[in-house]
Amino acid sequence: MILDAAAIAGLYRSHGHVVLRRARTLLGSEADAREALQDVFAALVRNPDAVRSAGSIVGWLYQATTHHCLNQLRKARTGARVLELHVRTAVNETGGPRGEAAAEVRRLLALLPDDVAAAVVYHHLDGMTHAEVAELLGCSRRQVGYLLERAQGLWDRAEQSA
Amino acid sequence: MNLAATPLSWNACCSALRLDRWMLGELGPEDGESVGTHVAGCAACSAAVAGIRGVREEVRAQPLPVRLAPPPLRRRAPLAAAGLGLGLALAAGLFLMLRSEPAWRTKGAGLSLTMFVQHGGEVRRAGPGETVAPGDAVRFAVSTPSPAFVAVLSVDPAGRASVYFPEGPRATQVPGGAEVPLPLGTRLDATTGEERLVGLFCSSPVELEPVRLALQQAPDAARLPTDCQGLRWSFVKR
Repeated sequence: MILDAAAIAGLYRSHGHVVLRRARTLLGSEADAREALQDVFAALVRNPDAVRSAGSIVGWLYQATTHHCLNQLRKARTGARVLELHVRTAVNETGGPRGEAAAEVRRLLALLPDDVAAAVVYHHLDGMTHAEVAELLGCSRRQVGYLLERAQGLWDRAEQSA
Repeated sequence: MNLAATPLSWNACCSALRLDRWMLGELGPEDGESVGTHVAGCAACSAAVAGIRGVREEVRAQPLPVRLAPPPLRRRAPLAAAGLGLGLALAAGLFLMLRSEPAWRTKGAGLSLTMFVQHGGEVRRAGPGETVAPGDAVRFAVSTPSPAFVAVLSVDPAGRASVYFPEGPRATQVPGGAEVPLPLGTRLDATTGEERLVGLFCSSPVELEPVRLALQQAPDAARLPTDCQGLRWSFVKR
């Protein structure tokens, strides 16, 4: 497959929703999700070999979106620390208790190590089996089980200290 | 909070990855059929698929972001009018069978538009300095690295814009390749003066009537559709 500018534009139209839908869930902001959509495909324009070496376009888009969004959540957390409580109020966005709980999930995701956070996103937010998570993370199913156990432990501790 | 029961947790039986792969044809035939059968009978998975479809249509309805658009063409300055002696009137259509080598072209981003001209029984390249007479026949060929929706429009010396190719209302898909001949030729009429041509290379079958009207109103400044690249020429017929 030759991924020139025209092919990537076609891929944006056929596969862009894969990125946008997940970015909305992960970031909780329409503007940030749309920026993530453009950023993921712009990265593909800069480096088309990235998807060529992946086994599946959809799989690559999942990986790229997850990586991008987790980075954004961490940046938001850093910004929140700098601006302290002024931002905490804004992050707790809209939607009542359910919206606040979703914002809390995003805040906790930003605290987890890369591989642990990605495992949580794939397994719990995308509903993937351990085999599917293992495929995207490039590790064994046993390792996925370990990452998810670790995630729950870190999650419980973070909640207690919040 | 249990990680499996957060407000962001996935609720369908099939994972989002599996449904996306199914909808985008990445699963094998048996696996795909199995997912299709399941989705048809599962309310949660049907709802998930409907949600995915909704976002898909939303993305498709939006214009392509500027930063993802193919790089713009470098426009070539209009060719010198004197000596070209070539003009087009697009009133009459004519199918031509031309076998000569193509010649006159402009290029940009791997795209080019090439013109052939037939005078009497002789077919030759159209090029600077040659005389093209009323009654000559012309035909175009295009080069494009990948399949593109193509159209050729003209603004005659009286300022009338018309669509030379295709006959239908929308740009027509042309396969990728070098100097692919367009299947429609035309015969030059007796009108003299400067004539301008625009070759359109688009990523979708754009409507041509708005483009024609824009060219008629401002031949040199007309804005082309956002997913099109244009090649412009001008000639003088005498």
